Amino acid sequence: MSATATPKQSQPIDAVAVIVRNELVTSASTRRYGYLRLRLPQPIAIQPGQFAMLKAHGIYEPLLRRAMAFYRCELINGQQEVEFIYQILGRGTQSLAKLEPGDKVEFLGALGNTYDLAFTRTTTMPEVLLPEALLVAGGVGSPALYLLAEELLRRGIATRLFLGGASQGDLCGLEDFTALLTPERITCATIDGSHGETGFVTAPLEAYLQTHAGQPLMIYSCGPDAMLHAVAKLAARYQVAAQLSLEAPMACGFGICVGCAVPVKADCAEGFVYKKVCTDGPVFWQEELHW
Amino acid sequence: MTDAAPNNQPIAAHSPAAQLAIEIAGVQFNNPVWTASGTCGYGLDMAGLIDLNRLGGICTKGLSAKPMRGNAPWRIVETHGGMLNAIGLQNIGARAFVSEKLPELRNYDTRIIPNVFGYTIEEYIEAIKLLEDGPGIHAYELNISCPNVKAGGESFANDPRQAAAVTEAVKKAATRPVIVKMSPNVTDIAAIARAVEAAGADALSLINTAVGMSIDIHTRRPRLANVTGGLSGPAIKPIAVRCVFQAARAVRIPLIGIGGIATTEDALEFIIAGASAVQVGTANFYDPTAAMKIVDGLADYCTRHNLENIRALVGTVVLN
Repeated sequence: MSATATPKQSQPIDAVAVIVRNELVTSASTRRYGYLRLRLPQPIAIQPGQFAMLKAHGIYEPLLRRAMAFYRCELINGQQEVEFIYQILGRGTQSLAKLEPGDKVEFLGALGNTYDLAFTRTTTMPEVLLPEALLVAGGVGSPALYLLAEELLRRGIATRLFLGGASQGDLCGLEDFTALLTPERITCATIDGSHGETGFVTAPLEAYLQTHAGQPLMIYSCGPDAMLHAVAKLAARYQVAAQLSLEAPMACGFGICVGCAVPVKADCAEGFVYKKVCTDGPVFWQEELHW
Repeated sequence: MTDAAPNNQPIAAHSPAAQLAIEIAGVQFNNPVWTASGTCGYGLDMAGLIDLNRLGGICTKGLSAKPMRGNAPWRIVETHGGMLNAIGLQNIGARAFVSEKLPELRNYDTRIIPNVFGYTIEEYIEAIKLLEDGPGIHAYELNISCPNVKAGGESFANDPRQAAAVTEAVKKAATRPVIVKMSPNVTDIAAIARAVEAAGADALSLINTAVGMSIDIHTRRPRLANVTGGLSGPAIKPIAVRCVFQAARAVRIPLIGIGGIATTEDALEFIIAGASAVQVGTANFYDPTAAMKIVDGLADYCTRHNLENIRALVGTVVLN
């Protein structure tokens, strides 16, 4: 089975980037996030869904860089600036959270594949119906969908976002998504009911799928594993093609540690082989995953 | 002078090429800095980030006669000063390496050292035979840390007789030099080193990872699906230096030092302990250019200390 993998546009760069902004916010759920903006020493090609490996420059511990999806990117007078949103969890993100504008970050990117924007999986649908992209994000998974939303709009594809989180403060990037997509095309859900519907984001997603059966839809999703499993089940039940952006612990990000294994269906006795989230993904078709 | 530049052009004395060129088991290496098995894929995976021509050698991801699927995730966890891995030796198999990777890899001016493993002596031999068909391979590195399934599942590396048996069998099947990779998870590494040398090993590389474990205190579950894993990175460097030092006093064949090498200073420490060459492992994950920096650093060291060749430093540890 062929993976989503689109050929990389260019080789990744291993460089020192300078912090432009590193704002920390705390959600009512007590989760903490960092909004990080970096200036790269040279412009690079970045595809939606790709990621970078980041680490505070010059520190010894922790050793390994942390994988983070590109959130937004911008070319300002020939200078490439890129943004990330990270949840402060362990030693790596804690050390990033201590950095201030002007501080340096070890940057390796852009890495990984990108989303399939061809909508080829929905060609059985009547051509008169315009396709619609459904973006489904949970918590800090949403950044991996922002460049995608921009690209979909650029291509004139109607785009809708379902954004879930524990609390209002966990709806990462909501303001930016709202400015991009307009409030009418965003449905939020929070566990504590502080914003949007109360409960999981998969509830409004299912309601939408029920009322739009037979229309050419494509789901793009990134978030916690449990949410991705639920999205995959819904996609299968309502026969909607879905691309899932996965997260996995990875030491290198470029294919050599083989730590970020994900089971993918294959024609063999066991029915699956392990592929790498970093170079075979992070984007996989829902139906190719052996979950 | 036995040292020759790879293109057989004469090399200037005190040039970095002359300072770092070494010979191990009859193979000429441009420099003593290799990448370690399991930390550089099949070499080509790093070609976009570093110049493979600058590496003394590349020890490939462990190859078996048949492809291996590897372990279930989670496979890695970062620990203090290192990481635990239980990848499960996932690999494409020796045959696919020869047909799919080797043709491109051998275009580089480096030395190619497939790392080989099996779960029986027959499986080692089968893998070696497949690799013997491959042109441009310079030596083999044997991972003997696998459980010997025909001998109760104890690792070949833990028992001098088992370690010697697999070494001897592979030596008979191989036309290229055989480097045996030693495990640190043994009581007396010198005894194993002597047994492997007596069985015909051309060189020893040491150390493989140290078996470790990490537990999530919230779930009380092991962090690795495999429960235990191999600890690598700077955390194991002192163990590795000690093993090289002990092996150097036990055998006469060359040693290749491995274990937490991330800087020039680390490499020098192993060389002084008795290593003729070193392998950079876990550092490749977080600094792909680490090996190239060490190549430059060793040349600088030779210049500053007026060494014609780095080999003058091998095993020069001062005791008392």
